[in-house]
Amino acid sequence: MPKLTVAPQGISVDLNEDETILEGLFRHGYAYRIGCRRGGCAICKVDLLEGSVTYNRPVAESVLSAEEQATGTCLTCRAVAETDITIALRDEDLRRVASLLALYAGTRTG
Amino acid sequence: MAVMRMGYMHVKVTDLAEAKQHYANTVGLYQTLEQDGKAYFKGWDEWDHHSVVIEEGGVGYVKCGFKCEKPEDVADIELKAVAMGYPVARMTAGENPEVGDGIRVTLPSGHEIEFYSSMTAWGLEVGTHNPDAFPRHMVGIGAPRLDHALLWVQDVAEIEKFFMDCTGMWATERVRTSLDDDAHTIATWLTIGESNHDIALLEAPESKIHHFAFEMRGWNDILHAADIFAMDDTPIDIGPTRHGITRGTTIYFFDPAGNRNETFSGGYRCFRDRPVVTWTPDQLGKAIFYHQRELNERFLTVAT
Repeated sequence: MPKLTVAPQGISVDLNEDETILEGLFRHGYAYRIGCRRGGCAICKVDLLEGSVTYNRPVAESVLSAEEQATGTCLTCRAVAETDITIALRDEDLRRVASLLALYAGTRTG
Repeated sequence: MAVMRMGYMHVKVTDLAEAKQHYANTVGLYQTLEQDGKAYFKGWDEWDHHSVVIEEGGVGYVKCGFKCEKPEDVADIELKAVAMGYPVARMTAGENPEVGDGIRVTLPSGHEIEFYSSMTAWGLEVGTHNPDAFPRHMVGIGAPRLDHALLWVQDVAEIEKFFMDCTGMWATERVRTSLDDDAHTIATWLTIGESNHDIALLEAPESKIHHFAFEMRGWNDILHAADIFAMDDTPIDIGPTRHGITRGTTIYFFDPAGNRNETFSGGYRCFRDRPVVTWTPDQLGKAIFYHQRELNERFLTVAT
């Protein structure tokens, strides 16, 4: 189960297998500014500081270029962690919108 | 002038199979052709061969087409567009499958807009002989027809001028910096006929598509559509709610590539002598989302 850490606060959450970074954050009650949640708008871009990710769908070059990927830009709505990872949001802080979810994020429904 | 309607919208999608699933099974359009990495769809209440084209590879706007009543209407738009200095290219029948001769205008924003007067007839799903009110086995939200699009452009007044001077459209509503005569236009809603808008334009730093919309049969169908989106895990941007502008009821949602779609219903009938409605930026929240009365963080930032 890869661990996601969000710098600089150091908030960390466990990601499920095949879960996108965004799904993992929202499942734990966190939020930040996002858009289409389908890889089209590029609003959810963050900096990938440590670790590696893979993409669960083809991502348009116009949304995330190969150069951006190589230099650590990450599209959280489509990125799935391959290792423990650390990301940093751009110009905003992670918001905790539902602390109840953080409490029960480990609960499974089968 | 006789542009009749927005006839087709053509967008790119990252995964054709997923997008086909969305437009066929969630939006409920009927696929009429698949060829060269593109899939063609129509709504049940449309009679032409297609109104939505999705193309694999990337995301966002490719082009849209407006259907004119007669070839002379296309020629008239060509004459005016050329005279006013817009880049115009002829397109021949078959260049777009099942679409006849026409012209392609490249707007100063870079958006390509096509005008044509014939497309292979397919027929209404309910037929035209003693038809029923809707298809008995409608799929997904059962969107009847393509309605309009909102484009991101840098200079709204400049693009509005093209549509008004060359195609005979007129503005029903605008967002302007003030109520003064010399105010700057931030957004405009342009109509061909009696609907509130066939195309709308919003000032933005890039040339993109904000959304394209399907006309629904009323608020009940909008609510039903939202239920279907929940079942299909279709991301909803906002809604069901109402726009202050146009008074239409709406849901904004996203296709699997992130292109924004809309279900739209309502509005009021428009006639050429109707006074233009003006909204000012201090009331923009209410203008866009009438109930919430504030813009969400996506309306002015998310487009493809």
